[in-house]
Amino acid sequence: MNRWETVQADFVIVGGGAAGTMAAIRAKELNPDMEVVIVEKAEISRSGAAGRGMDALNNVVVPGHGTVEEYVEAVDIVADGVLQPDITRIIGERSFGILKRLEQWGCRFPRTPEGDYIVNAFHPKGRFLVEMRGDLKKILAREVSSLGIRVYNRHPVLDLVKSGTRIAGAVALDLGTGVLKAFLAPAVLLASGGAARIGLPNTGYLHGTFDCPWCNGEAYKLGFEAGASLTGFEYTCRSAMTRDFNGPGQSTFIRHGAWLVNGLGERFMERYDPQRMERAPAGIRMRAMMEEERAGRGPIAFSFRHLPSKVIEMIEEGIFEAERPTMRAFFRRRGIDLKRTPVEVVMSEVYLCGGHGLSGLVADRWGETSVQGLFAAGDCLANPYGFLAGAMVMGEVVAERVVERAAPGPSGHDARDRIDRLRRALERHGKGRLGVSVRDFEYKFRRLVNEFLAPPKSETKLRRFLHLTEPMLKDQEDLPARDPHEVMKVFEAKAGLFCARMAAEASLFRTESRFGLYHQRVDYPEKNDAQWKTRVILSPGPEGPVVEKERS
Amino acid sequence: MNLLIDLQCCTGCGACVEHCPGHVLSQDEEGRPYERYPDDCWYCGVCETECPAQCISLLFPYLIR
Repeated sequence: MNRWETVQADFVIVGGGAAGTMAAIRAKELNPDMEVVIVEKAEISRSGAAGRGMDALNNVVVPGHGTVEEYVEAVDIVADGVLQPDITRIIGERSFGILKRLEQWGCRFPRTPEGDYIVNAFHPKGRFLVEMRGDLKKILAREVSSLGIRVYNRHPVLDLVKSGTRIAGAVALDLGTGVLKAFLAPAVLLASGGAARIGLPNTGYLHGTFDCPWCNGEAYKLGFEAGASLTGFEYTCRSAMTRDFNGPGQSTFIRHGAWLVNGLGERFMERYDPQRMERAPAGIRMRAMMEEERAGRGPIAFSFRHLPSKVIEMIEEGIFEAERPTMRAFFRRRGIDLKRTPVEVVMSEVYLCGGHGLSGLVADRWGETSVQGLFAAGDCLANPYGFLAGAMVMGEVVAERVVERAAPGPSGHDARDRIDRLRRALERHGKGRLGVSVRDFEYKFRRLVNEFLAPPKSETKLRRFLHLTEPMLKDQEDLPARDPHEVMKVFEAKAGLFCARMAAEASLFRTESRFGLYHQRVDYPEKNDAQWKTRVILSPGPEGPVVEKERS
Repeated sequence: MNLLIDLQCCTGCGACVEHCPGHVLSQDEEGRPYERYPDDCWYCGVCETECPAQCISLLFPYLIR
């Protein structure tokens, strides 16, 4: 791992998921001469949280079905009044344009017999969810390729390069050769997802997470260490997840009208949110699930028996064909037939996500962070409940900004200091003096997340978490990594621990309860709009993170 | 082991290795795929979907069976 190379570009995109590929496509469309490079940890036709596929766009303002105003209002309800409305508004304004582009490229959006899109309700208010079929990531990868965009697959980014106060590039590790590569450009987009491996799943399996486990908060950590701020880290998500099956599914069930029932067969949401029932904001739904479990009324399940066969077939088609084909085999193995059998769900581990949560890098309406030239889009950007459409909208928005502003040509910066720093770190990992595997290390902090950070929270527990994980910050530098894959796992684990500690800091600071279960403080059980209807911002300071309320 | 790879039917094309989002799979010296980092699998099924000869099926491990 001693050699290094430099790649010059105009625009470097970290992460080739939905946001990153869309940013690359838009930039190249607007300026074919621009050198656009995607640096991807996996392989772009199957990477990111939507890598296998997606059976819907959750948030499209379809003309005739809803307005941008209604959309912003719906997201405001889900975000409990704590959001940056301008980004949500842009997503509302441009999401239908994304749908039309995807349709033009070959994504299918099933229609009603009258020829209209199938638009379902998922938000607590309004109808913004459009059924989608087709192999989304393959389609995006094809467009990237047809435009001649350079893609570096299997290159996890380990560090960012700065020149004074502005961004100058990113350094990645080539998993195939072990060579470090500096990708230098005056504009860098972080688009490498949220943080999935924060809490420990109830199976105890490290990669058995709700969200894509290979996105582990690296973008949050890279951005923060480069000088950008984070927000929404007290919004510690948990989701209903099919028991023993890793991955999402609840939105498919909910939008088609499945009921959440407890072990007594009761549709228990009647007790917690009789108006909105299963479509209550996620944190309220999860708090209801937890209360039911605690009262001994588990297990919790989604029930489909009341639904017409046609609807059940649509659920199955969406999951088995568009989103998660392995679920078909899993259901068969478990003897689950949606027409007859409820699907048991458990609460997922804690995770952080900008696209189906509130956690992310703080950016302006063009996706630019406080570090000049450093942008964010997708799940690493604070774009509350922006989901997949939001990732693609913000990818486009960032690209437009970069094209409009960027002076073409190389940034001219030398990344030698960052390369040297990384080399020293990798040498230390090569020695691996800690004598504990990265997996054991990760298991330990994620077990502590479950005990002390997962909601319901209290000051005592949160302080305990920070105290117990503090020595791990030093230990992590001596984790063993003897090949490039292991280096990647070490950097993922470090990012996960960083995110968990940021979540504890933000959770300590917000001395009220909000977001249903997600920020339930037993020592401050009431919601306090007068004091706290605002974002909590974490910024890098000389002696650690500075936590404060957003200045209006 | 998370996968059942039928090596009789595998052509060694490497599609499963190329696309696995977790960098879990690798090819041995004879081009046969194997799970190099089985602990990092999410059971997403990309390997199964990508195999042009349909030689891969997902096994659900004991923990989640």
